[in-house]
Amino acid sequence: MPVTASALISPEILKDARRRERRVAWQQTRTAWLFIAPAVTMVTLFLLLPVVFNVILSFTKWQKFTGLDQFAGFNNYARLFRVPYFSEALGNTAIWVVGAVAFPLAVGLGLALLLRNIPFQETFKSLFFLPRVLAPTAVGAIWYYVYAPTGVLNSAVSGITGTPFDFGWLFDPATITGSVIVTFVWQTVGITMVLLLLGLAAIPKDPVEAARVDGASNFQIFRHIVWPLLLPTVLVVTILNVAAGFTTFDLLWVMASSFPGKRTLSLAVYMYYESFSNGAWAYGSAVAVVLGAMVITVSALLAVVQARVSKNIR
Amino acid sequence: MAVDITDKAFISGLIDKEKRAQRQGGRWLVIPILVLTIAYLTPLYYLFVTVFKTTQEYATKGVLELPEGLAPIVDNAVQAWTIANLGQAAMNSFSYALIGGALAVAFAAAAAYGMTRLHLIGSNGWFMLIFTGTLFPFQMYLVPLLFGYQRVGLINTWFGMLLVYVAICIPFPLLVLRNSFSAITREVDEAARIEGASEWRVFTSMIVPNAMGPLIALFLLQFTFIWNDLLFSSILANGIEVRSIMVALQSLQGTYSTLGPNVVITATLISSIPTVLLFIALRKYFMAGLQLGTK
Repeated sequence: MPVTASALISPEILKDARRRERRVAWQQTRTAWLFIAPAVTMVTLFLLLPVVFNVILSFTKWQKFTGLDQFAGFNNYARLFRVPYFSEALGNTAIWVVGAVAFPLAVGLGLALLLRNIPFQETFKSLFFLPRVLAPTAVGAIWYYVYAPTGVLNSAVSGITGTPFDFGWLFDPATITGSVIVTFVWQTVGITMVLLLLGLAAIPKDPVEAARVDGASNFQIFRHIVWPLLLPTVLVVTILNVAAGFTTFDLLWVMASSFPGKRTLSLAVYMYYESFSNGAWAYGSAVAVVLGAMVITVSALLAVVQARVSKNIR
Repeated sequence: MAVDITDKAFISGLIDKEKRAQRQGGRWLVIPILVLTIAYLTPLYYLFVTVFKTTQEYATKGVLELPEGLAPIVDNAVQAWTIANLGQAAMNSFSYALIGGALAVAFAAAAAYGMTRLHLIGSNGWFMLIFTGTLFPFQMYLVPLLFGYQRVGLINTWFGMLLVYVAICIPFPLLVLRNSFSAITREVDEAARIEGASEWRVFTSMIVPNAMGPLIALFLLQFTFIWNDLLFSSILANGIEVRSIMVALQSLQGTYSTLGPNVVITATLISSIPTVLLFIALRKYFMAGLQLGTK
């Protein structure tokens, strides 16, 4: 509405115009409701209500074959701290989160720096990215045999050392978590590398060239120019991988199919095992709530850091 | 050393030398990269030699040795196909992924249109409501969905499984499409509106064609996600008529499996064909989809 003309227009007409504008706004809002209705309905019914219900369930005694009639207060949560399986699963989840962040980042960054200026870059990029397209279930099935006592890894080891070697990587509590994390890194390092390559490509050439002319070493250039500018990308990758570290399920479930203590391998597995193998639905819900609280807290903290770092760079 | 920095020829000569040095350095790097790539691809090489072996051959030969012939793959595939009922499972997963992915992206696009192109009172609130759907780990949906599905009779049904996939796949595309649609100039649809086009018309013939790239990329990501899902389908639809390909694959594998690794590995190959083909054919869109995720 042209404000300068308002002095010439009588208040009546002005009021009328405002009313019409409001009517149009409401009309548009009503049309917009139709556009957003399917998405809002689906998300509310199948995602948000279940989350609310999950929290409620975690305070009940509901199990397979029993009715949903008794409230248990904080009993399910109290039980978490008494059960050794839970603390073991929690510890392994911590290992998962650290491993799922640190290794893809280190390996992905190494690959990105290696692949930055070489011929056939696109081909190598695609090859390293390919496992990401495979289902974790399929990858788990393949790697199950890679780690098998007569599998690929042991054959390679005995081939190199010349002595027979038949260690069961996925049968020993000391090696299973690390082994599955290696598979996770194998599958996801491609995406981390691609994202880091994009981040590297966005770094302006001038400061790098200037530093090189001034006689800075490659390490100095990386440490003082490339790394700070790459940090926002690093944090995005970290946020993605933290969530994956907390919630990875398929890979663990498939690769640990012969491991008796598989419920302790992570909270995601523990939740699934208690809920669906043991039928302890209410208790499983409590585990899910704890897992959700941790994922959301850590992701929120990282998002704040990421926002601050991006702002500093701009 | 006195250097005339205004001398363009000198400077460009320096830059050329630098670039050449870099490229030559790059050429040296190819050797370690090739070694790394070969090591990295060993599990896939293992897959390709294993699918051509018989169970007996697998047991007697080295795991990385080449097979004697190509014929055993047929028998392996037939065994995997019949024992796990892979045909039915593949059809199920394909329909979940195709229809579920398309519906989810369509719903997300419509919602993004309503939020960015129309005057929607409380637009940000609606957006936050849907965006909340990306925050929670999937583990928080499982037990309540099982409970609700048992009550309303959607457990172990094709339609019930589809509904969950559609809902799960809406929030992320909405996040992306809200940005893409905002970037399209408003003159396009204002003009169409003045001409008397309905909002539906403006949406389908002005906005959607202008955002085809992100739409395809998002559909590919959702298709792959649904095809690859084990978690939801193993709980909500594990009956033989409705179960997904990953549930079928998982049933072949593990301690209680009496099948040779050659059969199981052949099943993993079969179950990976659609997404790998899509990736090879539409690599450009896949890579674009990744970039969408980080903005």
